[in-house]
Amino acid sequence: MIIEIWTKEKYARNEEDAFIARLAHAGLKAKGARLSRLYRVDADFSRETFSKIASELLTDNITEHCSLTPGKAGLKKAYRVEVWLKDSVTDVVGESVKEAVADVAGKMPAAVRFGRAYYVACDSETKLRSAVSKTLVNEVVNKFKIEKC
Amino acid sequence: MPNPLSNFTSLKEKELLELDRTCGWSLNALELAEVQRQFRKMGRQPSRGELETIAQTWSEHCKHKTFSGPVSFKSGGKVKKYKNLFKETIVKATKTLNKKWCLSVFTDNAGIVEFGKSGKWGLAFKAETHNHPCAVEPYGGAETGVGGVIRDILGVGLGAKPVLNTDNFCFGYLDSKKKLPKNSHSPERIMRGVVEGVRDYGNRIGIPTASGGLYFDDGYLLNPLVYVGCAGLIPVDKIEKKVIAGDLIVSIGGRTGRDGIHGATFSSANIDEETSASAVQIGHAVNEKKTLDVLMRARDLNLYNAVTDCGAGGFSSAIGELGSETGARVRLEDAQLKDTRIEPWEIWVSESQERMILSVPKGKLKKLEAILKAESCDYCVLGTFPGDGRLLVTHGEEKVVDLPMAFLHGGVPNFEKKASRRKVKIHDGAPLPPAKTCGGILKEMLAHPNVCSRHSVITQYDHEVQGGTVIKPLQGKYGDGPGDATVIWPQAATLDLNDFSGFAVTHGFNPAAGKIDPYQMALHTVDEAVRNLLCVGAEISRTAILDNFCAASPRDPEVMGDLVLAAEGCHDAAMAYGAPFISGKDSFYNQAKDADGKEYPIPMSLLISATAPVEDIRKAITMNFKEAGNPLYLAGISRRGLGGSVYGDMMVAGNNYIAPLDMKAAVAMYTALLKTIKSGCVAAAHDVSQGGLAVTLAEMAFSGGFGAEIDLSAAAREKGLSALELLFGESPSRLVLEVVKGKEAEFLKLVKGQPVSEIGYVYEEPVLELRDGGERLFKEDLAALKTCWKRDLI
Amino acid sequence: MKPKAIILRGTATNCDIETFNSFKYVGAEPELVHINQLLSGEKKVLDYSLMAFPGGFSYGDDISAGKIYAVKMSRLAADFEAFIKDKRPVIGICNGFQILVKTGFLPENRGNAQVSTLYTNDCGHFLAKWTKLKINKKSPCIFTKGLPDEIELPIAHGEGKFIVEDKKIMADLVARELHAVTYSENPNGSMLDIAGITNSAGTCFGLMPHPERNFFAWQNPDRPAAAGEAEAAGYQFFKNAVDYVG
Repeated sequence: MIIEIWTKEKYARNEEDAFIARLAHAGLKAKGARLSRLYRVDADFSRETFSKIASELLTDNITEHCSLTPGKAGLKKAYRVEVWLKDSVTDVVGESVKEAVADVAGKMPAAVRFGRAYYVACDSETKLRSAVSKTLVNEVVNKFKIEKC
Repeated sequence: MPNPLSNFTSLKEKELLELDRTCGWSLNALELAEVQRQFRKMGRQPSRGELETIAQTWSEHCKHKTFSGPVSFKSGGKVKKYKNLFKETIVKATKTLNKKWCLSVFTDNAGIVEFGKSGKWGLAFKAETHNHPCAVEPYGGAETGVGGVIRDILGVGLGAKPVLNTDNFCFGYLDSKKKLPKNSHSPERIMRGVVEGVRDYGNRIGIPTASGGLYFDDGYLLNPLVYVGCAGLIPVDKIEKKVIAGDLIVSIGGRTGRDGIHGATFSSANIDEETSASAVQIGHAVNEKKTLDVLMRARDLNLYNAVTDCGAGGFSSAIGELGSETGARVRLEDAQLKDTRIEPWEIWVSESQERMILSVPKGKLKKLEAILKAESCDYCVLGTFPGDGRLLVTHGEEKVVDLPMAFLHGGVPNFEKKASRRKVKIHDGAPLPPAKTCGGILKEMLAHPNVCSRHSVITQYDHEVQGGTVIKPLQGKYGDGPGDATVIWPQAATLDLNDFSGFAVTHGFNPAAGKIDPYQMALHTVDEAVRNLLCVGAEISRTAILDNFCAASPRDPEVMGDLVLAAEGCHDAAMAYGAPFISGKDSFYNQAKDADGKEYPIPMSLLISATAPVEDIRKAITMNFKEAGNPLYLAGISRRGLGGSVYGDMMVAGNNYIAPLDMKAAVAMYTALLKTIKSGCVAAAHDVSQGGLAVTLAEMAFSGGFGAEIDLSAAAREKGLSALELLFGESPSRLVLEVVKGKEAEFLKLVKGQPVSEIGYVYEEPVLELRDGGERLFKEDLAALKTCWKRDLI
Repeated sequence: MKPKAIILRGTATNCDIETFNSFKYVGAEPELVHINQLLSGEKKVLDYSLMAFPGGFSYGDDISAGKIYAVKMSRLAADFEAFIKDKRPVIGICNGFQILVKTGFLPENRGNAQVSTLYTNDCGHFLAKWTKLKINKKSPCIFTKGLPDEIELPIAHGEGKFIVEDKKIMADLVARELHAVTYSENPNGSMLDIAGITNSAGTCFGLMPHPERNFFAWQNPDRPAAAGEAEAAGYQFFKNAVDYVG
């Protein structure tokens, strides 16, 4: 189950602006962007438990909201970039969250992995791919995929 | 893989080298032949695990083959031979000086000197590099670099408590226009990754990152340098460690996984496209903090006899080291794993981070386990130190390693390296007249990447955690003035708020000078470190230093020549300043192929890290102007030459001469100046280094919000010195001092006979004006100067 | 009899020792206690008269700062609530403030729900620098009594932006003068420049800046050539706590 955490739009401005600037520096003009955090929780929990983990543990209810399915970014003509650490690479944040999940769910999940999703409104997927590899990921340790929203 | 090890002992040299390349061992032909010889003697073939262990133990990283090996140096028709370059220069100085306040040098994971007046404490200090991993994965490489040096402090003696992190970085110019080869990261990308890695690791583990430097030169475009250091406090009765036969081998901290296989051998290889993910180590600061907390508690309850850290080579090096006399009996199936898809030999050499090995008497295990559980720290019992001198590592029924310890630690054949003096043409005439006014040059100088403010990097580091950073990297009225040295009052380690003993730490670094004259560069670098310590009022007669050499390939005789000259310089400087080396490291093969396929080596890069005691931290001083009306003095003789200067890099100077340093005179002057600081005559002190005297004065001024009217007519100088060299030259052994109004008589009495000249006064008005012999050189608003200087590097 | 102070720690609580030293200096008897010791019942918070949540990076700030520690504390909520209700002084510094906010103990509210958060700084990353702070003289906060109108303390945090969504809650907080400390120059985008808040009794107080790092005059970046008094602004915070229970 992948849980997606969004920053509420009114608080996300700074992060989005900085992100768009970084893409610009790497040669891509983006008209807008939304960012989210992803937690992949590998466990046979009930949907209710996943919901509890999402809202009570992983989401800061003042500034964020969560979704149990990849959410709509609200961006027209946007691409979705999903970035994770390669499976062979240790995910220290994931391991830390795994223990916290066990505290809340009452049972230890098999694994938790931490990733990020970037929604980018731009014209060229090729340019996006190039900007992503130049500035967002290190292909020695990251894997990523790009798809149209 | 088909088992080429089944006939290892009969492989030909070409096949051996091919095997070495495939497995990533980085052993040379001589070493591989020696291994063959040993196994022929033993009458059997080696196992994968045994070859891995040998490769890790003998690797450049662990045994310092180049520096500790034989060298033949040819210079001007003469040949000088060294059996062990390191021993005959760096170590020789320390042995000759034989200071009784050096408690442990060159034997353990760090050097230790006496700390404070109580006789209770030692100060451990260590610095090392983590270059190749940072070129591949800047963020992860920097994180694990910091983690690694902290573990050296945790693993010195029975464990020291870290109280300071230092970091020095070298990158290519961020706006460099040079074309990069396909798989290289841009210098901006590398810098961002490294700064953030050091930030995220250092901040999380609660050790202040409070001293360091940043240096830019296109020589580092493809090979960044990341020097990380750590200092810690250790009770003197916890410095000795000894594994007792019968002790248990206990690993504490993180679990073992496939990350970082071949980190140690990788660091000897040049970087190329096929560098794979498994060579990257992953850091987890929180794990290391847990380990630190456990260690401090267990140490003070005497629950173990020895400790060392799992660094390069993982278990194989750590257990191999601790068990070098007693031998070790290891059962790998008892290791705690991160990932079950791991081969036994991989468990043995994995460089998974944050692991320490303890030698624990059987009777103390239960108490240790209670502490580990209380701190939620992972651990496993891997075996014992039996006392038979044999290294036996098994996984269930499988024999992974079965070797005598003596072979592992003894047999490292060394071949003689050739060294020759690099020829450099020196231009000694008057420098070319500048194209700009002095004011214009100063503004450009202040904005130069090697001079400007580093606040955008420093403010990302928590440099105050533990509440002991009393002289900070950012000082003065606005909390942004560039400090010369950091002073730590380690209250979180001593728990004593009534003891005002502290220590100062700083660095010296000048690769630009090293390109011209490596011998003088070493002298200048040690001088820089000592005078930085002097500026805060530290006890420079008790300076202890660390050397960290980074160079390109030792197969190049000129690189070796630079190394020999710099090493000799280190020896001579240590002797002259009475400052023994207490620890040192080296990193070679820092070069890569550029976009045209040509070899692109780094310049010889020697970092000197230095520490000296501060008797009373309340009396230490900062560099910003304190009060209008206070007189200003320039100490030291300004000498000719723009070699190695920022000016020489920025403009066409037409002069690359480096004045030879008179160390005896410098020591005499510094000794007198220290007396003036200790007697309270001096309100502020700042040394002349990058950018020259004009920059020194500007920095003191805008950091305090006070201007100055300066007349350099009386300044002691070499005959024929041009105004350009006076303002922007970087000849060594010079400081500017602000003397307390009313204490001039006392000050002058203490510096009688020294080249100390009055140069002006601190003024209320925020304007800096400089004259020399009636001519006004410049008059600038402090606000304008500060704007040029306080730019965001990142 | 010296008042006993519990200095709470967990994995990667980093500022515990200097906080311990500060309490010791002002005459308390501090003790470092790990959350595991409370969870196992080995130690009980109600055995102490003073409580401190020191700064640090508990549990790596993973998920969000202070969240994991707050989740661990939820099992002991009753004890902590009783401590606070009993008006025993509690101070949360930096990560400690983040923990108090995530547990819902600050800002004060009936259900101890999380009604505010300390979010990522506007600059997007960790920031360590000295800042000028205004002390709200009308605040009931016991920790800030006797301080001058403006003081200097260092901040060192990545998540210090104080946010309250509910306008009513914020209005109430201001009306009751619970915003005890504000930034003279807002470094992180906190609403209404708020750097520290207290409960209505004034005894439960959280702030992002670090008083233990400006406890003595020689910890200041602008060192006068001749030091005056030994103790600086930070000292007063701790002295006030001990005097209150004294």
